[in-house]
Amino acid sequence: MKILGRKYLLLNILLIICLFLIGGCKPEHRFVKKTAFKDTNKIVIEFAGPVDETWAKNRSNYTACEKPDPDIRLKIIDVSLSADKKKATLVFADDLNKNQPHVVTATKISSEGKSLGTAILNVKKFYLGYLFSILIGAMIINNFVFTKYLGLCVFFGVSQKKSTAVGMGITFTLVIVASAMMSWFIYQFVLQPYRLDFLQIVVFIGLVSLSVQAVDTILRKVNPLLFKAFGVYLVLVIANCIIIAVPLILADNEYNAWESLMLSLGAGLGFLIALFLMSSVRERLELANVPPTYRGLPIAFVLAGLFALSFLGFSGMSIF
Amino acid sequence: MKEIIRITVGLTVSCLIAALLMGSVFIVTDKAKKHNEHVNIQRAMLGLLGYTRGHPAPPDLRLYTMYRYIIEDGAIRTLGYMLPVVKGEHGGYQLVVIDLDGQFVNRFKLNITPEKVSEASERASAIKAVLKPPKTFVYSDSTIVAKLGQKRLAYLLPGKFPGFKTFIDVMLAIDPSFKIIGLEIMEQEEDPGLGAEINQDYFKNQFKEKSFEKIKKINVTKEPLPEEYKKYLETKKGRDFPLPKGVVDTIRSKYQDKDIYALTGATISSQAVTNGVKNMIRKFAYRINRLDSVISRQHIPVAF
Amino acid sequence: MPATTKTNFQLVSNGILNDNPIFRLALSMCPAVGISTTVMNGIMLGIAVLFVQVFSSCTIALIKDHIHPRIRIPTYTLTIATWVTVIDLVLAAYMPAAYKEMGIFVKLIVAFAIITMRLEVFACKNSVPASFWDGIGMGLGFMAGMVAIGFVRELLGMGTILGYDVLGFRPLLFFVLPAAGFFCVGIMMAMFNYMELVYNRKKKG
Repeated sequence: MKILGRKYLLLNILLIICLFLIGGCKPEHRFVKKTAFKDTNKIVIEFAGPVDETWAKNRSNYTACEKPDPDIRLKIIDVSLSADKKKATLVFADDLNKNQPHVVTATKISSEGKSLGTAILNVKKFYLGYLFSILIGAMIINNFVFTKYLGLCVFFGVSQKKSTAVGMGITFTLVIVASAMMSWFIYQFVLQPYRLDFLQIVVFIGLVSLSVQAVDTILRKVNPLLFKAFGVYLVLVIANCIIIAVPLILADNEYNAWESLMLSLGAGLGFLIALFLMSSVRERLELANVPPTYRGLPIAFVLAGLFALSFLGFSGMSIF
Repeated sequence: MKEIIRITVGLTVSCLIAALLMGSVFIVTDKAKKHNEHVNIQRAMLGLLGYTRGHPAPPDLRLYTMYRYIIEDGAIRTLGYMLPVVKGEHGGYQLVVIDLDGQFVNRFKLNITPEKVSEASERASAIKAVLKPPKTFVYSDSTIVAKLGQKRLAYLLPGKFPGFKTFIDVMLAIDPSFKIIGLEIMEQEEDPGLGAEINQDYFKNQFKEKSFEKIKKINVTKEPLPEEYKKYLETKKGRDFPLPKGVVDTIRSKYQDKDIYALTGATISSQAVTNGVKNMIRKFAYRINRLDSVISRQHIPVAF
Repeated sequence: MPATTKTNFQLVSNGILNDNPIFRLALSMCPAVGISTTVMNGIMLGIAVLFVQVFSSCTIALIKDHIHPRIRIPTYTLTIATWVTVIDLVLAAYMPAAYKEMGIFVKLIVAFAIITMRLEVFACKNSVPASFWDGIGMGLGFMAGMVAIGFVRELLGMGTILGYDVLGFRPLLFFVLPAAGFFCVGIMMAMFNYMELVYNRKKKG
């Protein structure tokens, strides 16, 4: 029952986050409910009420451009209106570059004979989708172990048994989220404003040690049972280069708080996935007849190479 | 208690020493870093124009940089070009504001010296001094105009577009009729052995000498790169097997209007570069024509 | 472990052969897989590691009497991080091309287990000159490992050595692919094991 309650709490928090994020994407005009990309070359504008057909179907009432290039207008070849007259679809001559936010201007919107003024609308990709793509990207597509080759020492060290692999993965995820968020905060509000970014290596490694120590102390006091299970891995966490690589990447790419959270979570979960996959194979390997010179690390490396090759298949994939 | 004090003092002292060391190294290297970056970009630009160490640039070659800003005043958006002007009248730089339909709006002289103009923060404060507060502005891009004697030799366009994995940073040189003179990949993080091959001569030299008409509708073909063409593309730099003069001309005219041959195993990277280059030239040609007509109508004494 | 009695030459050769960081101790594997595509990368990162290892070893050996045993590890980390920052700044300023090629790995030297291990095992118990030679040995050993892997991958993958065309064709493009680093290291480790096996057998027989 207690676990169930916790689950609901987590779900509620997630829901609140989702609502907050969706709420942040509203267009700026009161008569326009939603704007979105559709297919490769269409933009859909959803109005709050029915609009006049003659107005809506007139192409010259709309102008569209990419946000960084306001002087270069995109060519609109057709406008169609849905049956209830609430949804206008703009069709463009060329494919749209969906990575750029677009600006659509609808002049003198006319609804049931009344003029409702001009609306300047931002059309963006769904922000939540973007966050999700960062998470999946760090977890699978750019998996830190198999495509960036980081954290290998610990990876080969603890991937012998499934139980240790999972324990290490979970501990690592917790610590990396905590330390990456701390590093992000310090970098954004202390190092960067005061032009101290050359100190980033020292500061980040210090924060990592600090968060390892903090998790150690808290876990020991709050849940000794959990500490008994996961305490051993805490020492190893600090020897993992991923934990220092993630803050460096965050600092390089200037991510905001949500994006940083997603990247660090993805890095941790990706490490967990890699450990789990590897340990499953290595458990099976104990039953196999490996040539004596390959026993131990060499065969593990060859295996990791096979995993890396298969992860190469995800390379460049884009979600949303 | 005594121990705690000893530990604290020890740590503080070592932190101070470390900070002092890092700080001094930072101060020394920061200048050198900026200088080296500048030299590298300069060398890449001259290289694109065909000037190398063995064939240095003539003394009357001048490179002028213009910067484009987007100015927002409530809902109205205009373009601001920061242009170098001929010394004598005001010297230095002027900000020319053009509306989205290419009509002249306003012009201001800026209080900035040519030495400081490469610093983004210096430019921003110079523009802030002439634009009144409700107006905001964001930096958009820059273009370098190469001038030899009295005539424009080429435009150098730095650009950035998404590749297969992350962004590809390029520098493109085109002549006044928008024919490509050369393409240089400045930075990329494609897969080594696959997409990273865009950096090879036999790929990026394919763009050379493509005319504006061709580039407007250029595409990528998946046919294998013909052996003779590959040889031609790689001899451009004058190493390995030099081809006889007659052969060079026939190959050039044969492949001049062909599409770009994609790299084996990296079609998407090839496509990304091709589309990126195409869009850069299209947008630039559109803008420079409008800007030039404003310059000639308003008699702005631009340096280039 | 008491202070070492080995000569300087033994200290250096120990780092390169017996205790080779990559093939024998199997530490700091990330760069060995990640950026060992060319010999040049191996040399550059090797120089950076050598620099950090030597300077950190000397620093610790110099101040070993003043370090309070309780804050031993934080002191090591601070020392290493300082020297890594120094080499990072220097490389970024004076060798931008090579620095770009190595990417994040220069900064990640701070997390290399091999350097902390040498400070803990050797430098905090020995004199400055001995630590200096030990650092040189470890750094050279790391560089030798990186260069060996880089040599195989560059030769087989691109047919070149240090950028010079040697073979004139590309035997196996596969070796340039990032994933091939794992195979390369695995197979080379197996070869080392095999040589050791043969050597021991000969010694016995």
